[in-house]
Amino acid sequence: MSLLKFSAKEEKALAILQANLPDSATPFGDIAREVGLSEDEVLALVRRLKADGVIRRFGATLRHQKAGYGHNAMVAWYVEEGLDIGEIGRKMAERPEISHCYVRAACLDWPYNLYTMIHGRNPGDCLRLAEELSRETGVAQFDVLESIREMKKTSMIYFDREKGVTA
Amino acid sequence: MDALDKKLLDIIQSDFPLQARPYAVLGQKLGLTEAEVLARVRALKGKNIIRRIGANFQSRKLGWHSTLCAAHVPEERLEAFVAEVNRHPGVTHNYLRRHRFNVWFTFIGESKEAVAEALAQMTAATGIPILNLPASKMFKIKVDFPMDDNA
Repeated sequence: MSLLKFSAKEEKALAILQANLPDSATPFGDIAREVGLSEDEVLALVRRLKADGVIRRFGATLRHQKAGYGHNAMVAWYVEEGLDIGEIGRKMAERPEISHCYVRAACLDWPYNLYTMIHGRNPGDCLRLAEELSRETGVAQFDVLESIREMKKTSMIYFDREKGVTA
Repeated sequence: MDALDKKLLDIIQSDFPLQARPYAVLGQKLGLTEAEVLARVRALKGKNIIRRIGANFQSRKLGWHSTLCAAHVPEERLEAFVAEVNRHPGVTHNYLRRHRFNVWFTFIGESKEAVAEALAQMTAATGIPILNLPASKMFKIKVDFPMDDNA
C-alpha cells in the first residue's frame, strides 16, 4: 500500500517517468498528451515529488562500467560499540568514490553494521580506499566484497501503467 | 566522449531540467543549441553510456520496504538459487561477490511482512538460508559519478 494517493492519470504518468522519458525535445508534454494531463500538470507533479524527496533523483542513470568506473566493491564494516557510528558513516559518505553508505542491523553470524559501496576506475582502487578509510576512522574490522558478476540490475517498478485502466 | 559530453552527463545525472524544453535549458548552460544537446544525449544512449533517463523513487517515502540480502550458496546450487531469486520483480540488483557469502541482492516489497514472506519462500524453494539486512540509517545514496575531471 502506497502512503501517497495518485489519480489514475498521474499513476500512468509516473509509470512512464519511472522508466524512460520519451525521446523528444518536449518529453513532459509528450507524457501529458499520452495520459490526458496538461504539460504543466505533469511538470508540477514531478517538481512536487522531487521537492518532497519522493523522487530522490531525476535524471540519467549511467552504465558505470562503460563510463569509466568499472570496479566496485561493497565494504562491510564492524563499528564497535563505543565508536560513533553516525560520525563515521557521515565521514565515509563524504567521499566521492562512495555511492551508498548505510547502517544495517547485524545478524547472528554476520557482525557488520555499516555498509559502503565503493567505486574505482582501476583494480585495487577499492581496497586502497577501504584501507585508507579504516586508518582514518579507526574501524579496524572490515570485509571487502568485490563484485565478480552482475546477475541482475534493473529499476524497481512502483507504478503500473495499466492500473488507471482497470481501477 | 568529449569534454562537453562529460559536462552534460555531470548535469543530467542529478539535475535534469524539469522544464517543458529541458534540452534547450541544457543548451543554454553548455553553449549548444537544443538540437545539439538532444543529438548528444541520443548518441550517449546509443553507445549505452546512458542506461535511462527518468525518476528514481525513494521506496520508503512511497511506503515500500527495502532490504539487502546475502546468502552463502555452494557453486553447484548457484544457478538454481539465482534463477529463483531473480524471478521476483522486487529483486533489483543481484551480485556474485568474492566471499563466503557470495550472493548479494536487494529486495523491495510493499511491506516488511511481504519482504519477509518472499525471502522465506525463496529459502523454502532452494533450501538456502538468506540474511535479511534492512538499513536502519542512510547516510548516502547517490549514483552519479563525476565525469568531468576538472569539475
